[in-house]
Amino acid sequence: MYNQTSMIAKGFTKPTARVQRLKQAIYDATPVLEVERMVLMTKAYQESEDLSPVMRRAKAMEKLLNNMHVTIRDDELIVGSVTEHPRSSEIHVELSLEWLLDELDTISTRPADPYYLSEESKEIIRSLAPYWKGRTNSEYALSLMSKECMDALEHGVYDSGSYLYGGVGHSQVDYGRILERGYEGVIQDCEAELAKLDRSDPDCIKKEQFYKALMITYTAAINFAHRYADKAEEMAAVEANPVRKAELKQIAKNCRRVPQYGATNFYEAVQSFWFVHCIIRIECNGYSYSPGPFDRYMYPFYKMDTEISEEFAQELLDCLYVKFNDSATCRDKITAQAFAGYGMFEQIALSGMDERGNDITNDVSYLCLNAAAHVQMPQPSNGVRISNQTPDEFLYRVCEVVRLGFGQPAIFNDEVIIEAMMNRGIPLEVARTYSPSGCVEPTIAHFYDGWHSPAFFNLAKVLEITLHNGMDKGVQLGPKTGDVRTFTCIDQVVDAFETQLQYFVRQLVDNLNCVDYAFKEKTPNTFQSALISDCIAKGKTVQEGGARYNWTGPQGIAVADTGDAIYAIEKNVFIDKKFTMSELMDAVDHNFGRVVGENQPTYQPTCNAAAPSYENETEKTIYEVVRAILNKTGSVSMSDFQSYAPATAADYDAIYRICDATPSYGNDIDEVDKYAALVARLYCEELVKYRNVRGGIFQAALFPVSGNVIYGYDVGALPSGRLAETPLADGVSPRPGKDVHGPTAAANSVSKLDHALASNGTLYNQKYLPSALAGDQGLMNLAAVIRGYFDRKGMEMQFNVVDRATLIAAQQNPEQYKNLVVRVAGYSANFTKLAKDMQDNIIARTEQDF
Amino acid sequence: MASINYKAEGTVTDIQRFSVHDGPGIRTIVFLKGCPLSCFWCCNPETQPRQPVVLFSRDKCIGCGKCVVACKQHAASLENPGRIDRSRCIGCGECANVCPTGALVLKGETMNVEQVVRILKKDSIIYRKSKGGITLSGGEPLMQWQYATELLKACKAQGWHTAIETTGFGSEEAIEAVFPYIDVALMDIKSMDPVMHKKVTGVSNEIIHRNARRIAELSKLTVRVPTIPTVNATVEDFQKICDFAKTLNGVDTIHVLPYHRLGVNKYELLNKDYPMGHEIESMKPAEAVPFQKVVEKNGFRCVIGG
Repeated sequence: MYNQTSMIAKGFTKPTARVQRLKQAIYDATPVLEVERMVLMTKAYQESEDLSPVMRRAKAMEKLLNNMHVTIRDDELIVGSVTEHPRSSEIHVELSLEWLLDELDTISTRPADPYYLSEESKEIIRSLAPYWKGRTNSEYALSLMSKECMDALEHGVYDSGSYLYGGVGHSQVDYGRILERGYEGVIQDCEAELAKLDRSDPDCIKKEQFYKALMITYTAAINFAHRYADKAEEMAAVEANPVRKAELKQIAKNCRRVPQYGATNFYEAVQSFWFVHCIIRIECNGYSYSPGPFDRYMYPFYKMDTEISEEFAQELLDCLYVKFNDSATCRDKITAQAFAGYGMFEQIALSGMDERGNDITNDVSYLCLNAAAHVQMPQPSNGVRISNQTPDEFLYRVCEVVRLGFGQPAIFNDEVIIEAMMNRGIPLEVARTYSPSGCVEPTIAHFYDGWHSPAFFNLAKVLEITLHNGMDKGVQLGPKTGDVRTFTCIDQVVDAFETQLQYFVRQLVDNLNCVDYAFKEKTPNTFQSALISDCIAKGKTVQEGGARYNWTGPQGIAVADTGDAIYAIEKNVFIDKKFTMSELMDAVDHNFGRVVGENQPTYQPTCNAAAPSYENETEKTIYEVVRAILNKTGSVSMSDFQSYAPATAADYDAIYRICDATPSYGNDIDEVDKYAALVARLYCEELVKYRNVRGGIFQAALFPVSGNVIYGYDVGALPSGRLAETPLADGVSPRPGKDVHGPTAAANSVSKLDHALASNGTLYNQKYLPSALAGDQGLMNLAAVIRGYFDRKGMEMQFNVVDRATLIAAQQNPEQYKNLVVRVAGYSANFTKLAKDMQDNIIARTEQDF
Repeated sequence: MASINYKAEGTVTDIQRFSVHDGPGIRTIVFLKGCPLSCFWCCNPETQPRQPVVLFSRDKCIGCGKCVVACKQHAASLENPGRIDRSRCIGCGECANVCPTGALVLKGETMNVEQVVRILKKDSIIYRKSKGGITLSGGEPLMQWQYATELLKACKAQGWHTAIETTGFGSEEAIEAVFPYIDVALMDIKSMDPVMHKKVTGVSNEIIHRNARRIAELSKLTVRVPTIPTVNATVEDFQKICDFAKTLNGVDTIHVLPYHRLGVNKYELLNKDYPMGHEIESMKPAEAVPFQKVVEKNGFRCVIGG
């Protein structure tokens, strides 16, 4: 509102022409699914059948690093490519293949994250496929699972697709160690451990295999960089442009030195960092391999580099930021929907505190914020740690980046996360050094194997099953916890829900431990294991539990929907007695008289559960009738059909309106919010009772990535008036459009959850119109909202700052909005690359206008 | 130590959290019910009567008839498209209490100071972080000046910054009671022309101008001018307002508030005609520029849409 000169806002410079060209090249690229890695991997696996798993993996890495394409793209200053084509993906065939064989002819045209796949490549995939039959990690994991846990999976109670079909990822390796000592340092450490081995120790053989495997891997990794040096020299020799020629010579020089040895200046440090990161991506297609406390380990090289100009350091970081978008991970179509947007979810963590609790904000922190603003691409994610002592200046700069409207950075609350980690038994000094990774998961840099977000656990689905006495789609899926129509108070509903929750969490644990076991036995990562403490000291891979801290952190989703549904029952049935439980359940079972899928997008994915696809209206109605009868009786007979009076909107409209008008989570009403908090607590406290394969425990996260849309398809109507198959609320955010008392009321509601219990992360999205954040006052107000939420022990906040009109325009004319990046949930993505229903969901999220 | 009557009761139309256009920082606004003026362009007509009023949204009504049964005044009927016969309604709210869908809503609730403060406290962290606070608005807060005074004292007891949005129409006693507890006063000056003022607001501007002088001595005063075509949207009118503002203690800022029609639908919910009629459209930001120039030429800081 004030038209005064800004004192707080500093504005942003434009990136250099080179950076703009690099960025454009990424946007212009068509993602390709490449087969080179699959070909090399198949050969390597065929040649190594007699070796131990860890040695097999080392030989495979050796094969890849010595034979992969070496690609230096135009204008690049930082080199190292996972794929030949930009923004493309290789196939990690050893992990899974079945889904790809099913999708060969549709992968180029599927709605979420399509990849171009040539006919020639398809032939190669088909010809190699027979070798992998029965040999992939996913087939092995599936073969280990119990019937009960498969049933729950198929009914959409949870989805563990991402780790089942892809890699684990989600770790922050020790980049700093390579920046300081190089790969040679790893090899020396392995040599030292080998020398210490006592041949009479029965563990000796296993350890010897491990150290030798690491040495093979790191020797190949040195060669990988040298191959880039060779390539750069070759290119320099024939380069006509003297400027580029000099750049290529410098690149060759860098690659000759790092990462074999420690970096001696900032440029080498950035290059060394990228090579490490690049090989991490080559080794395994798990997502969220996050750089961790980047400003902390890069700063010494910036400080020691007396020659580099700030401008050039900025350009290097900008180039690096673009480079993060250079390759992607092709996932199966269901997971691709849940993680829409070609995301890699690699988060750069900035600021925070050191072991002693001192603020560590430094020049590189600010340079990285500039890089984020310059590049404005979906990768990498940026996360900032804010503590009570973080300088306001830094937070205002963060707010200025937020105001640019591309959904970054995510903002984390040290005061809660450190508490959450200590509650899991991590010492204070260590907890203080945490850094966010992936979407919002707190990690202790390279001491963690977090198994963050290996599955989505659908709390709303559990409630739906509770309301049907353990039945789902005609099957007795969960225990019998009583006919809710006979319940006389809300405690009975909550107790039944808790019993169902306990049952399904047990199935989830079984499911994930099977996947965990498969990785341990079949697919250890040698490159990663050298850079996670204490693998070398223990002589164990990460997958065997070599990390100091081991977790499994599945996300609970639909906290708001579940809490609101329980409150709606309490308020309308048991307190106000507006209708009976039976009347309510009749309405719910008939989707409040509305045709399922009405006003829903035509594109109709359903996770795991049999996908209902309707040819016409009649079929939809029949489907609804069957579903309703099944829910009631568990079977369908002709007499049921004949006696069944089809529901109309009018029959249940009154009930629907009452349900829909029930106060919701997000308005700072204690009586309402307590149920969302309760649901979250029950899930968090149940999970930590279980242990994982690597010797750690389970811990909860509360966020959906973008799964709130597709997992909504698995859930029927709820007593809150949420209609069947519509999207669920994202993160711990209130349901879209239901928080009507402004952002502080919504934030207060969200802060009533006990975030510290969800030690694997929570996610709260707020959306603002640009006008709401205008001027210095806008920055100060946003900072106040953040500090206020954090004072109330909220864990994480992120923002979309874009107006509704822009989003709608982008949906209609995607060509003109290629660059529009929005916050989805825990990550940012190109808006126009999202599927339409996800776009609709983002548009629908409440806009907070001041 | 000042005594505060936390049990003092008043009629509150609404409490709106997270407002940033009504005083510094992030604020909660308490709308007090009742206004002695009835400006043609008023965008909150439901706040004008001192007593609670019922609003009716036709699209939410399911025709269940519960309101008809509940209404002891026989004001509610399903035959009436506006549902409530306003001549019979006493604003008791029985109909809204039983309405299952929120189609009938009672605007105006009796609340004591303690109840209001309990809600205001929910954002106390935010006031501190943003240098915001509480704003009293209306209606005209001076209509309930004894209650407003107790509420303001209670806010001051919490250490909160206070602001008021006022027409300035009130008794001398009210001014002397309320403004010692107000940090920032945002006060409308609508027209310097007594005849026009009386015609479009229903009251004389004489008292308002006298009070403005005293308010400027007690609080930091900012003048706001709702800029209304056919009333005061001329350069000459603005010059007169600026001349007057120069005589007020410490005024350095004038807000130009362009006419908008956002309140029109509330007249429908009340079954009333919109006094401005439907010919005049909302002002565009560019149309405010000539008035901004006048304000700035007279040495004031100008904020459009403040």
